[in-house]
Amino acid sequence: MSALLAVAGVGKDYAKVETRRGRVRLVWDLLRGRAAAQVFRALDGVDFELQRGASLGVIGENGAGKSTLLKIVAGVIEPTRGSVRVNGRVGALLELGSGFHPEYTGLANIELAAALLGLPPHEIEGKRDEIIAFADIGEHIRQPIKHYSSGMVVRLGFAVATVLKPDVLITDEVLAVGDESFQKKCIAWIERYLEDGGTLLLCSHSMYHIQKLCRVALWLRDGRTERYGPSTDVAQAYLAFHEEKDASARQPLAEAQARAAGVYAIQSLELAPGDRIAQGADLTLSGEVLSPDGRPPAVLVGIARADGTSVYGVATDMDRVVLDEMRGDRYAFSLTLLRLALLPGKYIVRVHALDPEAVRLFDHVERSFVVTGETREFGLVQLPHRWGR
Amino acid sequence: MSDSTSVAAGTASLVAAGSAGRRNRALLRNFFGREIHTRYLGSITGLAWALLHPLALLAVYHFVFTTIFRAGGFQGHSFLLFVAVALWPWLAAQEALQRATVSLAGYAGLIRKVAFPHELVVYASVAATLALQFAGYLAVLLVLALVGEPVRFEGLILAIPLWLVMALAVLGLSLGLAALQVFIRDVEQVLMPTLMILMYLTPILYPLALVPEYLRPWVAANPFGWLVGRLRDCLLDGRLGLEWGDAVALAGALALFFGGRWVFRRLSPQFEDFL
Repeated sequence: MSALLAVAGVGKDYAKVETRRGRVRLVWDLLRGRAAAQVFRALDGVDFELQRGASLGVIGENGAGKSTLLKIVAGVIEPTRGSVRVNGRVGALLELGSGFHPEYTGLANIELAAALLGLPPHEIEGKRDEIIAFADIGEHIRQPIKHYSSGMVVRLGFAVATVLKPDVLITDEVLAVGDESFQKKCIAWIERYLEDGGTLLLCSHSMYHIQKLCRVALWLRDGRTERYGPSTDVAQAYLAFHEEKDASARQPLAEAQARAAGVYAIQSLELAPGDRIAQGADLTLSGEVLSPDGRPPAVLVGIARADGTSVYGVATDMDRVVLDEMRGDRYAFSLTLLRLALLPGKYIVRVHALDPEAVRLFDHVERSFVVTGETREFGLVQLPHRWGR
Repeated sequence: MSDSTSVAAGTASLVAAGSAGRRNRALLRNFFGREIHTRYLGSITGLAWALLHPLALLAVYHFVFTTIFRAGGFQGHSFLLFVAVALWPWLAAQEALQRATVSLAGYAGLIRKVAFPHELVVYASVAATLALQFAGYLAVLLVLALVGEPVRFEGLILAIPLWLVMALAVLGLSLGLAALQVFIRDVEQVLMPTLMILMYLTPILYPLALVPEYLRPWVAANPFGWLVGRLRDCLLDGRLGLEWGDAVALAGALALFFGGRWVFRRLSPQFEDFL
């Protein structure tokens, strides 16, 4: 069986227009059937296939071209290059909640969504009650959508999608809406939709959702496919990429730069014995801080798990420690964490430079380290404990 | 798989050709209903205002022209009837153009997110305005007849096709203006005074015969002036014969429509980025 959706070599250029004159110029070019003089390449050479009943996750940073790709798939915009093929019973592709008009009531929006899918009025009649029942938002259905909470909008969107059954459901960051319990419901809805043979194109920043709901994922970076494959692999590669990127972004500030900006800046950070440390060993964090005014700065050290959960933080002023001056406005710090209680896993140490009063945070530097060990305990740290009396 | 659609660069719709027509009709119906509803039925005074505004204008013009200027020579008709027959189509065309020019902005959310022919928005906007204004036109003719003005209702046989020719031309202009407005926001600003000036250059409030001889060909060349003249022919004088000018006008309206649609279709793929 051929794919329900086949995207081949798709690219999209957006006209780059800054001035009013540029707009007039663009209109003139378009009328003559020419491409815009200056373009921004939003998407280039993207390929993927989607089988009926399959689900594809699209990930990438903001501005990577995710929304552009979804719009091309939905037919909202035409690709500048390449082709999109839709096979089989060609139905509409619906972006969840997208067809909603904020001024319309819920009921009117149901009709609009049905019309967008090409349903004649007599068919809408039967479906309306079903959608209202599914959405279950009570009297709000007679209110304009703009008065809805974002959760209610999504709920109505799911109801429309569930009952009207578009061939492909496109959702762009829907799961970022609402509280945790609502998100759980959304996921349950999507899972049921997939179980019923629905086809899903999901765009999300949450790797958890991507891995849970999609078998295959596409990672877009600067408009190009960075990786395409099983969602777990792609999601892990994406997370690893971000870890590295964050780490490289937290390198020490150059001395000249720090002096010019007049900020207290961390100049170096060393981990001893290294970035791999056995559970229960001593970990020493040391380095130098630059003080632009020659007064001894304060230093705050924080430990967090790789996902950002804070574990512990302590500053020099809390322990009434004053840093030693080294040479030329540089102060040394050294902190040893005794018999490291952290359980095996990946952690981040973050050192902040503060002013001598320990009031204002300036520069910070990050390093990641791994705690090794064989243990079946859960959590972040090993708490001193005793069983029995 | 028999019915597969390929969307290469150039073609837009993902909906198969057969169901596309049905879907577009459903959409147009929906947009049209929505336009009528939000414009006139949304507020209690909305519908009344649609009729009151031209009536008030008519009353003011009547006062200024017959009481203050004591103008005469309305081809043997009362000023009220003479102006009402022409003023309504003008106000209808004006309102349709003004609303349609900015209509796409109201559907920005939809245009950015859903694939559908953007023309439908303009069609619905123009259709809603003209339908309501035509209803108002009939109502006013009826009222004028009831107060004893000699309205020739058999003239509607010609007046209705004349309105349709006007609708075609207005639709074409609206398509072009609405598309341009997306890129160049000044269109809306320029349109208003332009229409105002055009109104006074069109023999709506005065007969062509009052225009000085040397200016008359210029004023007569105004297509709207032609429409107004023809409406007076049939509704005031009961002259129902067709003229060569009618064919020229129809051809002109068709050219405007297809020209406007051409401009619209050239520009519409970029709407999503500029709305």
